[in-house]
Amino acid sequence: MASSSSNLISLKTSDGTVFKVERALAKTMKTVQAIIEEADANIYMIPIHNVFSHHMDMIIDYYKLSVAGKSKEFSVEKLDNDELKDFLLAVHYLNMEDLFEVLTQAVADRLEKKSVGYVRKYFGIENDFTPEEYAAIRKKNDWAFKGDDIEPEEDEEKQEE
Amino acid sequence: MRNNIAKGGNSMEMKILYLPHELIIQILLRLPVKSLIRFKCICKSWFSLISDPRFAKTHFELTTAHTDRILFITSTPEIRSIDLEASLNDDSAFTSPNLNFLLPRSYSDLEIKGSCRGFIVLCCSSNIYLWNPSTGVHKQIPLPPFGSNLDANYFFGFGYDHSKDDYLVVSMCDDPNSATFLSHLEFFSLRANTWKEIECTTSTHFPYMNACDDPRVGCLFNGAIYWMAFRHDISRNVIVGFDLMERKLLDLQFPDDFDHEPTNCGLWVYGEFLSLWAIDYYENDTVEIWVMKEYKVNSSWAKTLVLSIDDIPTQYFSPLCSTKSGDIIETDGVTGLVKYNNKGQLLEHRSYCNNASISEVALYSESLLSLPDANEQA
Repeated sequence: MASSSSNLISLKTSDGTVFKVERALAKTMKTVQAIIEEADANIYMIPIHNVFSHHMDMIIDYYKLSVAGKSKEFSVEKLDNDELKDFLLAVHYLNMEDLFEVLTQAVADRLEKKSVGYVRKYFGIENDFTPEEYAAIRKKNDWAFKGDDIEPEEDEEKQEE
Repeated sequence: MRNNIAKGGNSMEMKILYLPHELIIQILLRLPVKSLIRFKCICKSWFSLISDPRFAKTHFELTTAHTDRILFITSTPEIRSIDLEASLNDDSAFTSPNLNFLLPRSYSDLEIKGSCRGFIVLCCSSNIYLWNPSTGVHKQIPLPPFGSNLDANYFFGFGYDHSKDDYLVVSMCDDPNSATFLSHLEFFSLRANTWKEIECTTSTHFPYMNACDDPRVGCLFNGAIYWMAFRHDISRNVIVGFDLMERKLLDLQFPDDFDHEPTNCGLWVYGEFLSLWAIDYYENDTVEIWVMKEYKVNSSWAKTLVLSIDDIPTQYFSPLCSTKSGDIIETDGVTGLVKYNNKGQLLEHRSYCNNASISEVALYSESLLSLPDANEQA
């Protein structure tokens, strides 16, 4: 059982801000739900690590929109790549199904037409193929690199100069 | 993978925000096939992951709205994969898969005889291949024992059995060594890697004969493959289906007031419905579209649309699919594709070749799927 003050649950973010949220919203956070259910006594305040107040603001925005049936209006366009990844990590930690779906799709949409070089940088991945291995895979799947809407690879752009 | 989280926005350092492996998988599952194929080049672990059949299966089954495309092969040969949601005149919306595993040749005898879950059945000089245009994976399968003359094979189709995660190629035809109408029903299971015959339990042989002048590709719908047929035991045209899970035949009736010869008709899937198209040459050069509103309920057939084909030079019409917005795309039979809206108005017509040889066209889904036991790559 959570705090006895009816329908509000207190969540404390990593930067020390306390948010009083509706129980229904807290229920969408499976991690928080688990904490509440495991507690023997009433919990006064639930700390949520790895979640900052700017994350909670967006979470509350999304919640309000989805309650009003307008979840499609929620947009993360204004977030830059790192902010979006950061938010995704917070939502992943809180284990919020719907918002997680929205954010993973948003990241996928941003990467869809990007070059291999761009995606490597985005995830901080090192290329561990030899030039020959890379060339072979590239050649075999060349069709996937073509199309006006696909970002050209850096090595190709240089060749055209 | 590392799990660092970059704090705040004030740091001047370029810290990379690493996402854990399970998060990366969730993102990859939401990317289209073309992007995933490209991202195989990112690094070895991504190559393994994207090539993994389990990933492919999860990816295919997660996408409720598959990216369907139209494969258009001219005899030139030119192979195009067309995005059916884009305008037919938008040339940036097509890709060119390669068919290099078929020896260099003119593709004039190439035929498409089925399409399912990203795989296309190609028949070329008496060989049958299953081919995934997105990945290049292909596999040759043996000819059916009875139906080895593919040109005379009126009931041929391809589908998927969900219950066994198996792909089946189905063939029903006359025994070439017999003078009578003895129909043999046989199917090839990818998992069993062999053809098997199904005996007819109700009489000596299945009573189905071809109803059209030319062989038609089976129409895959709701776990069954459908063809138009003539039942010589009751002297009636029927729509015969092969249920891929039960592995038996079932009959559907044509609509009651359906006044067309099967050779001027065809079966296709219109949105969520099994549908019949019928060209009326005698009256108005129109095409009727009928839809079976309740599956397997014969009385639920309804005529939903009548289109005029006056403006199509080939005077031929064979619908392929409908788009998300309800437009119908069909082939003009020779050179290209035509798009109508759901009120029957002609929107676009695009030719992809000029010569008079028939092209091969089919609808297919983009998938990373591999075949059970398939290990050949282009």
